[in-house]
Amino acid sequence: MAHGACFALALLPLALAAASCRTSPRQSGGFSFVEVGQRAGIDRMLHAGRPGKDHLLDSTGTGAAWLDYDADGHLDAYVVSAWRLDDGAIVERGKNALYRNRGDGTFEDVTDRAGVGGEGQWGAGVAVADYDDDGRVDLLVTNFGPNLLYRNRGDGTFENVAARAGIEAAGWNTGAAFLDADRDGDLDLYVAAYIAHSLEDVLAARRTLDWKGVERVALGPFGLPGALDHYFRSRGDGTFEDATVAAGLEDRARAFGFGVRALDVDDDADLDLYVANDSEPNYLYRNEGDGTFREIGLWAGAALDENGAAQAGMGLASGDVDGDGIVDLLVTNFAEDFSTLYLGEGGGFFHDASRGSGVGPATYRWLSWGTALADLDNDGDLDLVIANGHIYPQVDQHPELGVTYRQPVQLLENTGSSRFVDATARAGPGFAVPRVARGLAAGDYDNDGDLDLLLTVLDGPPLLLRNDSASGSWLEVLCLAPPGRGPVLGARITVEAAGRTQFRDLASGDSFLSSHDPRAHFGLGEATRVERVRVRWPDGKETVRESVPANRLLVVTKD
Amino acid sequence: MRVRGRFAALLVIGVAVAGLARMPASASEAGTPQQLVETYDSLADTILAAKKTEWNLVHSLLAMTYRHAEGTLAAAKGKLAAGQNAKPEIEKLAGLVTELASEGDARVAAVRKRLVEGGHHHNAVGEQQGIYDEGFVIVTRVAKKALLDAAGKVARAADAAALDAAWKTVESEFGKLHAPAGR
Repeated sequence: MAHGACFALALLPLALAAASCRTSPRQSGGFSFVEVGQRAGIDRMLHAGRPGKDHLLDSTGTGAAWLDYDADGHLDAYVVSAWRLDDGAIVERGKNALYRNRGDGTFEDVTDRAGVGGEGQWGAGVAVADYDDDGRVDLLVTNFGPNLLYRNRGDGTFENVAARAGIEAAGWNTGAAFLDADRDGDLDLYVAAYIAHSLEDVLAARRTLDWKGVERVALGPFGLPGALDHYFRSRGDGTFEDATVAAGLEDRARAFGFGVRALDVDDDADLDLYVANDSEPNYLYRNEGDGTFREIGLWAGAALDENGAAQAGMGLASGDVDGDGIVDLLVTNFAEDFSTLYLGEGGGFFHDASRGSGVGPATYRWLSWGTALADLDNDGDLDLVIANGHIYPQVDQHPELGVTYRQPVQLLENTGSSRFVDATARAGPGFAVPRVARGLAAGDYDNDGDLDLLLTVLDGPPLLLRNDSASGSWLEVLCLAPPGRGPVLGARITVEAAGRTQFRDLASGDSFLSSHDPRAHFGLGEATRVERVRVRWPDGKETVRESVPANRLLVVTKD
Repeated sequence: MRVRGRFAALLVIGVAVAGLARMPASASEAGTPQQLVETYDSLADTILAAKKTEWNLVHSLLAMTYRHAEGTLAAAKGKLAAGQNAKPEIEKLAGLVTELASEGDARVAAVRKRLVEGGHHHNAVGEQQGIYDEGFVIVTRVAKKALLDAAGKVARAADAAALDAAWKTVESEFGKLHAPAGR
């Protein structure tokens, strides 16, 4: 509790910082993103196996997260790295990086001081949560190897408590999500896993798969054994027990799991789980209300595409793209297949609307990974951003096939009627350069009211796409709750402004191996005031704030 | 199973090699030794029989699932007629129809994946022609799609009439699949 009080005080600067950056309401005027990563000090090289990508592990990349680990009101960045290999030899074990936001648009690399470099593990994903309810956000890093749980000590340093917590689960772990599945007040954890391979398998791998009759490329995922996902139930004392089977979350298909998102798909106030599986049906685990789950993806319409075919699910996003008050889902997929937009019908049912929405045609060509449904121009609807990049560098040897290794990060603008148009070409210089991008996390790092983008790439430094769009009004909402008064996960925030109702679900673990801004961000268009902000807390209770001025951070603390 | 399969393969090879060792040198020089040809012929019978057995097994699996679904449908309709909550039965029925579409549940999918990993495709040509999903034995892509759609309609059914309408599709699709093993 003492920590909680300190944290509550520490959060004051968060509100002040946001208020000080407040600008007058802006009108939507298109997108403009600028890449400022190197200039801002986010510059550590991210390794990704061998140059030739002989094994899928060389190609899958890593995640990124926004968090405010020091509670100073400015989002810090955490970026995960893999290793560098040369043929079958380990050249360098990559180090993850924690960048502290100085508050002036630049970052300081505090990895060593904080002790969160990754312990020499081959990193994969990251999720952020105050798992021990002490008011300070902690870091989960999933690995090809044992996972890490960095407990925030509150003095700028962390300690890895994964073994003690019981969540190491060595293997090829990928996406992860914290959620209070059983609504007992503490956070449980789901960790997806990809392929059951050892480091020896990876080092010995050779390119044996025939690609279009012109190149030998990395084999998989078909032909390789799937690894089992894990669900860890919190005991409430900082430790977890493996409750995968007991909770009904047994990965019966041994699917190739990647992205994970906890969200309430059927609006019954408990958290369900959605898992993007590569080359196999996605899982939609419905929470039965008692902390156990039932997999309903196939008949709920969220597992396959409109033709009944499994796709190569990589990353995912959720949000209400058509403003009907029902959550929708987006899954990114392989090249020459489209990213899939599942429109919610209510009651936990979905249908594939990729073709009619424009998402399908716009994304068909690219191999897609990290993603976010986010209002990037603050006009009151959710746009779509997707990190793209092929897995086979060999494709560049065959320009006649029209496939490239480096691919554009895409921005699809929501035109307001659940139709999306590709706005990449007019999204500014940050979107102009093709990349081999993977993880993507959206967050307002400069507290100017619009969402910026942090991306990971293969064999290069991360990208920070600063949002300089001339955009509309906004509201950001930070939800805190006792006992530690840390940021809450699993709350639903609904805002009503200028005749429009929007909602966001707060989550940790999203996109592809990544975590977005812990604050809910709303674009408000021309509205200068929000009539009502409603927070539905994980226990079902509600807090309402009325007549909230736009263009500020609203901190809502649970009674 | 895998161990037994390997043992059988080793036994076949062992017999063949032992036979070859007993042959006079002149016989082994006149083309493929007859005993090896016979052994291979015998193995071919086994391989083809295994493929037919796979068809029969998946067919049985579908038939069992269908019978289970029929019973669940009756239970759901009974509850609806009595004005009781039929959601558990309706969702169970939806799940069974997805199992028809997928030729089994997720555990079967894991077995199927192992077969595909090992290079076994029951309908390799049909897959290339876009008729079957990878590794599928009986359910075509068209049937799969129709059954999945029907499963969604079952799950959404609010009354007996809606349930019956969705079930008609299942009945029709299953009838088309219910052909004798002739492969």
